[in-house]
Amino acid sequence: MSLLSGVGRKLKEDARNAASAPVEVARGIRYTVGGVRRGEIPPSKPLKTVGATLGALLLVAGLMFPIYWILMAALSGSGGSIYSSGGLRLLPDDPSLRPFLWVVGDLVVPAYAVAVNVPLTDLAVVFETPEIVFLDVSDYGVEGASEFKRFFWNSLTVSIPTVAIAMCLIVPASYALSRRKFIFRRKILFTYVLLTQVGGGLGIALLIGLYAVYVQIGLNDSKLALAVYYAATAVPFNTWLLKTYMDGIPVSYEEAAVVDGAPPWRVVTEVIIPLSAAGLATVFIFTFLTGWTEFVVAQTLLSTENYTLPVGLFSLVSEYSIPWARFSAFALTFAAPIVLVYLFAQRYIEGGLSFSGMEG
Amino acid sequence: MSTVSRVARRVEEVPFLDRRDASLLFVLPGLFVFSAFMLFPVLYLVGISFTNAEPANLFAGEGALAVLTFGEATFVGLENYVSVLTDPTFWNSFGVTWLIVATSVTLKLILSVGIALVVTGDRVRGKRLMRSLIILPMGLPAIFTITVWRGIFSSAEFGLANQILRSLGMGTVSWLSERWMAFVAYNVTEAWLAYPFMVIITVSALQDVPEELHEAAMVDGAGYVSRFLHVTLPSIKRPVLFASILTAAASFQQFLIPYVFNEGGPARQNELVVVYGYREAFSFAEYGEGAAISIIAVAFIGAFMWLNVKRGKLADGVSDS
Repeated sequence: MSLLSGVGRKLKEDARNAASAPVEVARGIRYTVGGVRRGEIPPSKPLKTVGATLGALLLVAGLMFPIYWILMAALSGSGGSIYSSGGLRLLPDDPSLRPFLWVVGDLVVPAYAVAVNVPLTDLAVVFETPEIVFLDVSDYGVEGASEFKRFFWNSLTVSIPTVAIAMCLIVPASYALSRRKFIFRRKILFTYVLLTQVGGGLGIALLIGLYAVYVQIGLNDSKLALAVYYAATAVPFNTWLLKTYMDGIPVSYEEAAVVDGAPPWRVVTEVIIPLSAAGLATVFIFTFLTGWTEFVVAQTLLSTENYTLPVGLFSLVSEYSIPWARFSAFALTFAAPIVLVYLFAQRYIEGGLSFSGMEG
Repeated sequence: MSTVSRVARRVEEVPFLDRRDASLLFVLPGLFVFSAFMLFPVLYLVGISFTNAEPANLFAGEGALAVLTFGEATFVGLENYVSVLTDPTFWNSFGVTWLIVATSVTLKLILSVGIALVVTGDRVRGKRLMRSLIILPMGLPAIFTITVWRGIFSSAEFGLANQILRSLGMGTVSWLSERWMAFVAYNVTEAWLAYPFMVIITVSALQDVPEELHEAAMVDGAGYVSRFLHVTLPSIKRPVLFASILTAAASFQQFLIPYVFNEGGPARQNELVVVYGYREAFSFAEYGEGAAISIIAVAFIGAFMWLNVKRGKLADGVSDS
């Protein structure tokens, strides 16, 4: 579990840095103030620094304003308007978590009756499980909760098969492309590299063909068929990514294993797979997010019953009069876990996820 | 004898193939699935574009074999292409697409080089924290970002843009139902969506500019502007240019922004070419024409991809390993 311990070490390091940052800043300020008092540093210099930093902070705040707005709108019960008769208002006036309760809805495990037939008799023992209520939103005055849970379930049943299928296709291929020499290898690699580039619109342009084929075979509205499609689109980029990662594993490790008498399959399971854990984690996240965040194809192929989360989000915003608080809460509940996973992977899974890997 | 070596011997019996070519079998499943779901639709799309396909005849056939005969659609030759290329709506869409490529790339370039200069500035403190904050939009799912911006530009009960205009004492704008206002909204959203990527590339290029060059220029008495023009700009030109090609390609095939904002409206005036093909097929049931438009779009996207790989020297990794 070198991956986990590495992540743990980095987390600790970051925590220490974050804790010591204010101390460092204070020390820097004290030094500068002392320098100016003694006349060692001209007073214009720190003034310039303060001015430049304030300007930069203003720019960052401006860029992040949409995110701030959506957060605020979700937390304000009254609908989240920053405009009021008193001019701009930057804090919600009536903070409440009710929109989030509306998104989540009731969390109830319904009562089940489990019947077990006693062998060789006509008798049956019936167990009744009690109804477990974790959360009943009507207690908090929320009526008609969103369909978030259904969308969530649909997304899950699309994304999990996507990951399973994609991993089966990607892992052997990237191993072979990284370690073996065979016919057409370079042609295949070149095709994959070509397809990693800006392919976003390609899938949409091809959607007419895909849709026609799916409808005629009767596969539209099938979540599994959608998952296979997502897995297929994830192949070139992720194969290339994992292949590049495996290229970084020294061949001498494998040679050592071979010298010790390991058969080829054991070299793979005991050397390659453990050493490429970070790469595998990255590919896992990427393929999962393919299915989790894709919108156009899901919207075209699936019926209302099977809508995934992105399509559900879109159906909220297309109403003419948007319920801001509920819309924002829904959007945040959808996006926040993804951002956290993304930032975490970005920072802690070393070498797995690089910026250059983002134009997929 | 193990299965592996049995397979390897079989492979050897095939002419042109070597024993080691058995490894190809690892790659084939992925390649096959990918081709089945990407290559086959391409071929199918080409096929549809030569027929008068529409839902009534395309889905009329019986059984799975009807897929190959395009249902009961009939072959019409190049008719679809002719009607597309003589349709002023298509040329409008094509023009708007290139216009948005030009405007949004300019906007993105100015914005991200500006941001990059700020977050690498000598006098700015807390640069690392700022840098990690401003690339946050990159981790957000595109559909989230775009629906949020749709909310910002919404006219319903005052979206954010109108709220700000109001509080500054200006009148409200119905962003999404006026052609050029919608176009501005597309550009702003597109810029916000793409700036993190450009900033990252520009920042790393800026950090590679040798400090001595700046010092030498300062000794020669160059001011900030002339140092930027004659030292910084030439050094960061190449990576920034490459990033621009990438982001131009992304703008060219932009689908989500126009579709989510107002389906390329008002009155089909802002339909970018990918949206135009999609809507022609799915909203107006003209599969044949939609396919023809998509083929034209795919040709341009393919050219972009080729340009990227060649320009970015991305294929270098292929030949030397």
